[in-house]
Parts: sequence; C-alpha cells; structure tokens
Amino acid sequence: MSHQVPSTLKYTKDHEWAKIEGDIVTIGITDFAQSALGDIVFVELPEVGSTLDQASTFGVVESIKSVSDLYSPITGEVVEANNELESSPELCNQSPYDSWIIKVKATNLSELDSLLSSADYEQHCSEL
Amino acid sequence: MSLQLTSLHNKHVNLGAKMAPFAGFDMPLQYSSVKEEVIAVRSNCGVFDVSHMGEFLCVGEDAEKFVDFMVTNDFLGAGSNKAVYSPLCRENGTVIDDLIAYKLSHGRVLICVNASNIEKDWDWFNEFVGDFDCTLTNLSSEYSLLAIQGPKTEQILKDLEIIDSAEFPYYSVKESEFNGNELILARTGYTGEDGFEIFCSHKFAGELWDKLLSVGVAPCGLAARDVLRVEVCYPLYGHEITDDITPLDAGLKWTVKLNKPEFIGKQALSEYQAKYTLVKLALEKGIPREGYEVLNAADEIIGKVTSGTMSVTANKGVAICQVEANKNPKDKNYKIRIRKNDFEATYYAKAFVTGGHK
Repeated sequence: MSHQVPSTLKYTKDHEWAKIEGDIVTIGITDFAQSALGDIVFVELPEVGSTLDQASTFGVVESIKSVSDLYSPITGEVVEANNELESSPELCNQSPYDSWIIKVKATNLSELDSLLSSADYEQHCSEL
Repeated sequence: MSLQLTSLHNKHVNLGAKMAPFAGFDMPLQYSSVKEEVIAVRSNCGVFDVSHMGEFLCVGEDAEKFVDFMVTNDFLGAGSNKAVYSPLCRENGTVIDDLIAYKLSHGRVLICVNASNIEKDWDWFNEFVGDFDCTLTNLSSEYSLLAIQGPKTEQILKDLEIIDSAEFPYYSVKESEFNGNELILARTGYTGEDGFEIFCSHKFAGELWDKLLSVGVAPCGLAARDVLRVEVCYPLYGHEITDDITPLDAGLKWTVKLNKPEFIGKQALSEYQAKYTLVKLALEKGIPREGYEVLNAADEIIGKVTSGTMSVTANKGVAICQVEANKNPKDKNYKIRIRKNDFEATYYAKAFVTGGHK
C-alpha cells in the first residue's frame, strides 16, 4: 500500500503525526491510518484546556465499522481543537496532513526524541 | 485452524478487498469503501459473496412436514415455491439459529443457515429426521451463493438472461438452468432492498460474478452487508438472537406460530413471558456500538446495544438494542452511554431506513 509520509513530521507507532513549531505540537492521523480505517465518519475531540500525558488517549476516530483511540505524542495542554472535523470528519480521509486534530502546548520537549522519524515510521508501517 | 476459502476468494484478493476471518472463512470485508458499497445497494445494484452460508437439502415425501416440525414459523402453510424465514428452536424455546427454508418443489426443501452454526444445525436436524420419510444432505461445501441486491437487480438479471420475464414474487424460489448450469434463484436477501440470492456451482459462481461486475454491479463486502441489515433492523444471529434467548426476546413473535399443531419448542414458547424487547435508537451525534449500555431517563441501565453502526443512508448513528422488558420505559426516553458520556437517543417505532423490496 503506497501512502504519504512527509519527512518534516514526527510519528507515533499508533499512526499519529506531530508537527513541531516551538513548543506547539500539532497532531493528526497519518495517511496510512486513514487508509486503513476507511470512511471516517466521526471524530471525538478533547476539551481545549485539558491536559494530556504522552501516550494517553485524547480522542477517538470512528469509521463506519470501527472505533480507534487517538494517542497523544506528547505531554501538555490542549490549546486548540479542530472543530471543523466534527461536521466534516471525512477531511481526515481527504487530506490527513492538513486535517490536524489538536494543538498541544508541550511541557517537555525532550519527549519528542521518542517519536519516530518519517523513515522509521515508514519502516514500522511496512512491518504491519 | 486454517480459514476456509470461498470459490471466489482469488477474485476478492485481486480486486484488492480487505479480507477478514468470519465464521471460519476468509471473507471480503470491503472493496472500495463501505459507504460507496451501501449507496450502490440502496440506489443501484451490488453483489455479495455469501458462499460461507450453509445449505441443507431435504428430500422425500415428508420433507415439508419435517421442516415445519423443526421451525417455529409456518412452513407447511406457505404456498409452493415460497421461501420462509424462521427461527430454529430447542424444546425450551431458545434459538439454535435462524434460517430461510425454500420450497423448491413438493418433497424438496432447501434450508439456508448461518455459516457459524452449520455443524450445530446439522446435528440438530439429524436428531429428528429419522422420524420422517425424508433424507437430509449437507451441501454447504457444494454451493456457492451470490446475493445480488438493489433496485436495479431485476433488470440486470433479465438483461443477463439469468431470469426471464415470468412473475417472480418477493420471498419465492425457482430452480432454473443457465447454459447448462443448475441454479436455484431466490428473491430473498438481507439488505431490505429488492434482490436475488443465487445458489450455484463453484464453477458457475466465478462466471456469474464476472458477468455482474462487467455490467457495473458493485462488489460489496460483509461490512456493507452489516450496515444495510442494521439500517432496516434485520436481526443477526450472535447479536440480536443468541443461544440463550427465545425468538420472543428478539422481536420475532411474528415467526412463532403457536397455532401450528406441533413444532419443537411449542410448549415452552406458549408459556413464555419475554424477558427482553428490542428497541431501535438513533443518535444525532456519536455512533452507538455493540455492547454500549442503554439507560432510561433516571440513568438506570436497562439494556445494551446489540448492533450499532453509522447509517450511511440515514446519516446518523443507529442501534438495535436489547432492553429488559419490565424496564422498557413507557415515555420512550432512552440514552446510550458512549465512553462514560450519556447521549439522548431518538426512539424509532420503525426501521431507520425503508428498503425497496417488493
């Protein structure tokens, strides 16, 4: 299965991508994830202001037949959630890397070292 | 245990279907997208490989009488060449399986059962067949079965000369022939739409599949099949119907004919008070899933979701729910608990979607 893995982003093994700009980390799901899920019909977002631990669940994406938890790549506070996905969850299918889900103000940037590079993530996907 | 393959397995793989184990078979879950497949069936035509289903053939003078004795619905009373849906029950009224029995001709009955229950059903039928003048053959591995469903099905099958212009009412069956291939054509299905189910040889199944796809029929997987049947609120064994409840607990009172002289489970079912009732609930936001709790206005847990999905056609989360009969609220106020949050649900007296079957 061919899928996009932009080299400018970091990744989790659970198929979230993270874009790092200063201490703000923008998070979404990867092209591989959206393709595996199929038609995404529901995205459950966290409250802005809630705090997340690295690897804790922060939301849910649902396709017609499946429910998948979303895992935070980093510890911090949710500063923004993409409300557009509530009415148009299919955007995650159409443009997974533009359709960010949340933005987190990170409290411990050294956690970013534990995320996968694009090459490592591609390798990870090829082993699934 | 290795998975069984249907005769069309290679075709599914070549089409790029997402495959998954189901009832011991490696089955296509979806091809293009579940959504597109559901839309194809509701508006046009889709084909499902359901060759995993089991088939028993009952032949002999008593064939109809035997099947009528085994099932709760009225099989003897149905007209010739009719199909009858029925639960198959134990003496205590609990459900072994649900099935469709087809009156092929006098003394010839085809019984189609759920793939996951083939062995259990076969054993059960064989416990009783000795008392009747008929014999049973398990043809489950001999037949392929294609379900062709959707409003355009009749026209497409006429154009392919699989069916002729003769009257073919809903829930009826005909034995037929096409280029030397023996077919059993049934106007039945599991989507709520008009359509046919065609029992045929493995060899012909591939030819028929290719013919259908070449005229634009959409290949559809089990995921779309499940969405379609939940939208029209058809029960599924293992979900709405289970080994430990009766048909009366699963909204199937209409299939239990207590006025029949004799059938297995009659006495138990005639004395039984249903413990559960099925209710149909929809959510404006969120998607109910199997196992989620159902609550009343006072936040008491009164039941659970037995099947839930996003309805492609109704564009909302829909659920068939099993509620304790004595706790079913008269005010029809229900909530469904999703990940610790309770959502008000809309009660549906009828199915979420009205299929177009004739």
